[in-house]
Amino acid sequence: MIDATRKIQKKYGSQAIFIAIVAAIAAILAGARPIGKGLLLGTIFSVVNFVVMAESLPLRMRQNGKKSVFFSFGGICMRYVLISIPLVLALKSEKFNFYATVAGIFMIQAVILINRLMELMHVKRSNIRPTG
Amino acid sequence: MELDVQTWLKIAAFSGGGLAIGFGAIGAAIGEGHTAAKANHAISRNPEMAGDVFKSMLVGQAVAESAAIFSLVIALILLFSEFSATSFIMVWAVFSAGLCTGLGAIGSGIGAGYPAGAACEGMVRQPEMSNRLTTNMLIGSAVCQTPSVFALVVSFILIYTDYSTKPMWPMWAAVLGAGLSAGLSAIGAGIGSGLVAQSSCEGISRQPKATAIATNSMLLGQAITQTTAIYGLLISFILLFKNYPASDAIAPAMALLGAGLCMGIGGIGPGIGEGITAQSAVTWIVRNRESAGEITRTMLVGMAVSESTGIYSMVIALILLFVV
Repeated sequence: MIDATRKIQKKYGSQAIFIAIVAAIAAILAGARPIGKGLLLGTIFSVVNFVVMAESLPLRMRQNGKKSVFFSFGGICMRYVLISIPLVLALKSEKFNFYATVAGIFMIQAVILINRLMELMHVKRSNIRPTG
Repeated sequence: MELDVQTWLKIAAFSGGGLAIGFGAIGAAIGEGHTAAKANHAISRNPEMAGDVFKSMLVGQAVAESAAIFSLVIALILLFSEFSATSFIMVWAVFSAGLCTGLGAIGSGIGAGYPAGAACEGMVRQPEMSNRLTTNMLIGSAVCQTPSVFALVVSFILIYTDYSTKPMWPMWAAVLGAGLSAGLSAIGAGIGSGLVAQSSCEGISRQPKATAIATNSMLLGQAITQTTAIYGLLISFILLFKNYPASDAIAPAMALLGAGLCMGIGGIGPGIGEGITAQSAVTWIVRNRESAGEITRTMLVGMAVSESTGIYSMVIALILLFVV
């Protein structure tokens, strides 16, 4: 059970970091250094948040319905603090672009959705392809 | 103790930030808790599927908490940005921005938890459909986030609009009304959309051959369920972008605040009601595909009737805006 979530953490985490690095290099080369750095910073914390979320799953799963909501609330508050770190850094420092940092925070969600949509398109294309 | 505009601005930003983060956490926590509870049920039925259930639950919850992160972003902007105190309206605008995003995140957080829970249970029932169920769940959850995106957009407009040329009376009420309209109306739409996505995931697990129709009817149901959130957004935009003559009278300001409240509160019920209608329709379309056309027509009529109260709210809001 834990192995399954570790695999998914590795898959989405590495893809998110890869996309962020490529986009950050492109932004830095284009002269938009704060955008590149902000995107990378946001993505790193997005991945850390995802890992914390995955690792805390067993704790939530051991609870019944009401306790599960309570543990989820506690977990969300804790991860709020975690995601706040890059956002506060970006707001306080001119080295990081705030909006690029926000975009980075959503990198895991974007990678999950893109992955799924690509799989869906692949399935549809395979169904359309004539056989024989 | 005398307070200047800058101090009031800080008070409004801090309380708005607190409301954003507080309300934002409610929806995501209930949604995530619901998903975890359903995952428990699923694993107890088939412990061998625990790995797949865990994976689905994890990606579902990651998408479900997007609305809570929107709230966090707005809260941090409110807490750490320096706002120029060119007008006292800004005090109301930053407070309204926090309220708007926080309220807007409640429905999307709760709603996105429903398909994630149904997907976890569904993949235990129909293991070979795991992949398709996760995809359908993610599409449904992502659509559930739309009302919270509306609230986020209104919050950004509230924060970054220049109010220096606007009259304090009645503009303060317009900015507060705009936040309430977009934030409150997003609650029903988010929950309703989640109910529709839940029945679609259940349908796919019960009738794998009906996957395409389950997804399509889900998207149709969700689109109509979210119309009240669009009304809320529309009233917010009118409140924010209409030009008001300066007036010392209380009535015009109360009319604007009333318009926002009317549309916001009036949008909650229809959003949930339409979601219940579409939820049932998707369930029965999947079970009886031959009658899909008839069921869809009944669903559309039912949703139109359910939405009528939302339309009444919008009409009253428009009267308050343009007639009173």
